[in-house]
Amino acid sequence: MKLLRRALMALSMAGVIAGALRVRGKGGIPPRNGGWRELPVDRSA
Amino acid sequence: MTDLIRIIGVGAVGARVARIVLAAEQSVEVEVDDVRADLVTSLVPSLGARAAAVRQHLGTRHDDDGRARVLVLAQPRPHVALATAALEAGVTVVSVCDDLDDVRDLMALDRVARRNSASLVVGAAMSPGLSGLIARHLAGRVDRLDEIHVAVHGTGGPECAMQHHRALGGTALGWHDRSWMERPAGSGRELAWFPEPLGAKDCYRAEMADPVLLPRAFPEVGRVIARMSATRRDRLTARLPMLTPPHPEGGLGGLRVEARGERNGERVALVAGVAERTAIAAAQVAGVFALAAIQGELPEGLVIPGDAQLPNELLLDRLTAFGLSLREFVGTDAHTSW
Repeated sequence: MKLLRRALMALSMAGVIAGALRVRGKGGIPPRNGGWRELPVDRSA
Repeated sequence: MTDLIRIIGVGAVGARVARIVLAAEQSVEVEVDDVRADLVTSLVPSLGARAAAVRQHLGTRHDDDGRARVLVLAQPRPHVALATAALEAGVTVVSVCDDLDDVRDLMALDRVARRNSASLVVGAAMSPGLSGLIARHLAGRVDRLDEIHVAVHGTGGPECAMQHHRALGGTALGWHDRSWMERPAGSGRELAWFPEPLGAKDCYRAEMADPVLLPRAFPEVGRVIARMSATRRDRLTARLPMLTPPHPEGGLGGLRVEARGERNGERVALVAGVAERTAIAAAQVAGVFALAAIQGELPEGLVIPGDAQLPNELLLDRLTAFGLSLREFVGTDAHTSW
């Protein structure tokens, strides 16, 4: 019974921390520029 | 005056090489041969009046009648016996082989080629082949080139698919800090971003020929690492016989070449590549080299795509004229709180 209580406590604490990070955490901003473009080949070479 | 290009193997790559060289150069005639006579019979009429079938050049003896100037080897491995015979007859050889052992054997034919005033192009496909041409282009945009990282996605015809399977079950060779490094194929996962629409693919070390060829073309480079994309099933079954027969031709493939070096005192990483059916890209590279041989633009002896002696930009320009869309990745200004 003591083990079960501890497990439930650990799970609930993990849930609270994960929720806080989800709401308050700062994720990276996805890249806004760049990408693939045509490779310029030197046609005079 | 016409020039004859003989093509051995008319699968997904060889048949396209025939079409490409015939379309690009009016003075070229083509002879094709394959162990699958039905393929030759069905292909030749579609190639037009400048194409013909031959049936005597499949063994280890190249019965050269003095007509062929270039022999394109696009059949399953090994290529070394036929290449040797052709070179001894003074015929330039363009091999699309990507099997590591066969590539090593072909590289050893440098002297034979020089002695007979012929050229031997080893690895005229997508990887190796286009990988070297792109790496040379990127090398011209840095002050000092240190590393080349190649990643490949997809396969061409059935033989290419079998080679992909073998490569994931073998031993991956890498040129690492100017010494050879062996790792189990299927290890060293890296997420590689290919040109759109391919996007990101998990790539792994594999028994590929680029780390053997590129250090010869780029002696200044300290690291050459090659990876290929693979699924979990590919890696799980790599050391078993192929469980399902390969498709006649794979879907959209891709190549990504990353060149790392120094420019203006700063470390830079330049990335370029293509997204194209593997067999089409391989055939275009082989066709470009076959035509360059006809034009007398290749040096005698061993020719590795990307070698500084080659007219690299001209070859890339011809590839784009064939319809290959070369792409480069331009950097992002990613702002992050991490």
